[in-house]
Order: sequence, then structure tokens, then C-alpha cells
Amino acid sequence: MENEQSFSDICGGRLALQRRYYSPSCREFCLSSPRLSLRSLTVVTSTVWLAAYGLFTVCENSVVLSAAIFITLLGLLGYLHFVKIDQETLLIIDSLGIQMTSSYASGKESTTFIEMDKVKDVIINEAIYMKVIYYLCILLKDPVEPHEISQVVPVFQSAKPRLDCLIEVYRSCQEILAHQKAPSTSPQAHQKAPSTSPSIQKASIVSRGK
Amino acid sequence: VVKGSTSLTVVVFLSHRLSKATGKMVENSPSPLPERAIYGFVLFLSSQFGFILYLVWAFIPESWLNYIGLTYWPQKYWALAVPVYLLITIVIGYVLLFGMNMLSTCPLNSVNTITDNYAKSQQRKKYQEEAVPALRDVCISEVNQMFFLEAKELSTNN
Repeated sequence: MENEQSFSDICGGRLALQRRYYSPSCREFCLSSPRLSLRSLTVVTSTVWLAAYGLFTVCENSVVLSAAIFITLLGLLGYLHFVKIDQETLLIIDSLGIQMTSSYASGKESTTFIEMDKVKDVIINEAIYMKVIYYLCILLKDPVEPHEISQVVPVFQSAKPRLDCLIEVYRSCQEILAHQKAPSTSPQAHQKAPSTSPSIQKASIVSRGK
Repeated sequence: VVKGSTSLTVVVFLSHRLSKATGKMVENSPSPLPERAIYGFVLFLSSQFGFILYLVWAFIPESWLNYIGLTYWPQKYWALAVPVYLLITIVIGYVLLFGMNMLSTCPLNSVNTITDNYAKSQQRKKYQEEAVPALRDVCISEVNQMFFLEAKELSTNN
């Protein structure tokens, strides 16, 4: 089952989220940013070349012009290969792990895989970046102390979607993680529930009511 | 000036005697005390003297100062340089403070955005029926479930 939806990122640009549900225990989320636009490319190139021409009229050295051409070409190639990420994918497979792929504009792909044993939870966290932003991250367990968080791995770092997109991805991931947690921990969950959930639900009802 | 200072200290003494008579504790209060009045007056006199001295040093020509006998005073260049240095330090201080704030903000992949030592080592109090639950740091997974998983049911009810 495939589903495509349009969202926006924290700067206001357009993003496309594609969801593929391969099976009840395997889902993929693909966030695509818009490609490098011709307009921004011409703007940057013309400013660099105009500045180089201005420098050339001041210092009468033609090396400046050829240096500007080289810098523009190399800068564009480096940007496409190392900086511009076109698509970010999150593949979550129940009982196997989570895989994150970033594909760059030049075609390069970089992949990270995290085993399900190491994953504690997938959450939406708030942090200060230049303003306060929400971002999805994977919490990894500490091998020594299973209830402690050893590492935080943020996902969709270059696409930076807004909260509505993150909530969709979060709910899908939680459904899969719930399958994974439910069979092994159900007796403990029943014991813990009376102590924490009524207080939390009371608090939530009070806050929503106000 | 002397008359003003004596009347000031008389006023402060009288108010101090009055507050002692009413039995109030005056050790840690910010109310006027005779010692504080004297400190303030000494500071006022010394700052006025320092300012007059600075003006004398900056404006009176070197030859006149040498004639009096004051030969080993600093160069008059510093009468301009020190205030300028001070003002530039204050301006750079604003920029530096902003920069230090940016430096000490945790990156997005740091554990400090989720929890810290105090939250990890907190004690769990027993849950009592009919009582307000004790204040504690809630784990981020629970917070997320409350905000994002249950909000669907609440919003569909509304």
C-alpha cells in the first residue's frame, strides 16, 4: 500500500512524504525535498561571477576570473555530492531493525542500520536549533543498564519536517514497536499501569479542559 | 557638605533607634543603617574626587604639572584610550555572551536534551489514591504517548 502526502519543513519549503506499507511488520517512510532549482543556481553563479568581475576591474588580474569559474564549478559539484540531500528514507522492520538512507543529489547514498535490540523507543523531541524545533529521534539502549538511554539518533536531519508530518511517522512507528514490545512485556505492563496511567490521564484531561 | 552629612547620619541614627525600639530584627534587612550611610558617603566623596583628578590630569598641560612637581604621571594618551577600551569591551561582551549561549546549547543528538543526572537518580514515591501525585520527571516516551497517540481520540471526540 502506497500513500503520498505533501508537508512543509521548518523553513516553509515543500516536502513530500511517501509511505509504503509492505506488510504489517514492515513500513517505509520516504521524505523528498525539492531538487536544486535552476533559479537559485543562476542567482549564486551570477553573484559570484559579478563579484569576481568587480575584483578584476580593481586589480586588473585575469587569474581572478578563471579562479571564479573553477570555484563555481567545484563548489557546485561538492555541494551536489556532499551537501544536497534529495531524499531521506526510514525503513522500520519489526524484530529486525531500523534503516535510515540518505540519497544525495549526485546519486550517492549513505545508509545506517540499527538493530532492534538496541532500539529503546522512537520519539518526537523538542530542542533548540535556532528556534525550538520538533524532530524525530531513535533512542538507543545502554547495553549495561537496560533502562537508561545511551544515545540519541535524530532522523530526517536535512529535510526537517514539521510536527504534522512527524506525528504521522511517529504513530506508524509506535504501532510497529508496540507489536514488538507487547508479547514479551504484557504481565509487567499490567502491573505498572494502575500506578502511572490514572495520574497521567487526570493531568491530560485537566490540561485539555483548560 | 559637612552639615548635610551630619543631618543625614542623625536621621539614620534616629530611624535605627526607632526600629530597635519596636523590636524588629535589623541584621539582614535592607533598611538604612549608620554603617551603610557612612560607606555610601565615603564612596560618593571618593568617586567625586577621582573624577576631578581625572579631569585635572586630562586637561592641565604637561608643563604646568611639571612646574608643580608632578612629573611621573601617565601619558595623556591614556585619558582617551581607557574609556574607549572600556566601551569596546562592553560591546564585545554582548556579542561574546550571545556566542557563549550558542556554544553551550546541546546539539540535537545529545542525551542532555532527553534527560540528565537528576532525572535519572530521582526516587519514585508511592502512588496514593485520592491524592495529588508527587512531582517527578516523566519519561519522554510516556510524554510522547500522551501528546501524540491519545490526542487522536480526544480530537475525534471534539
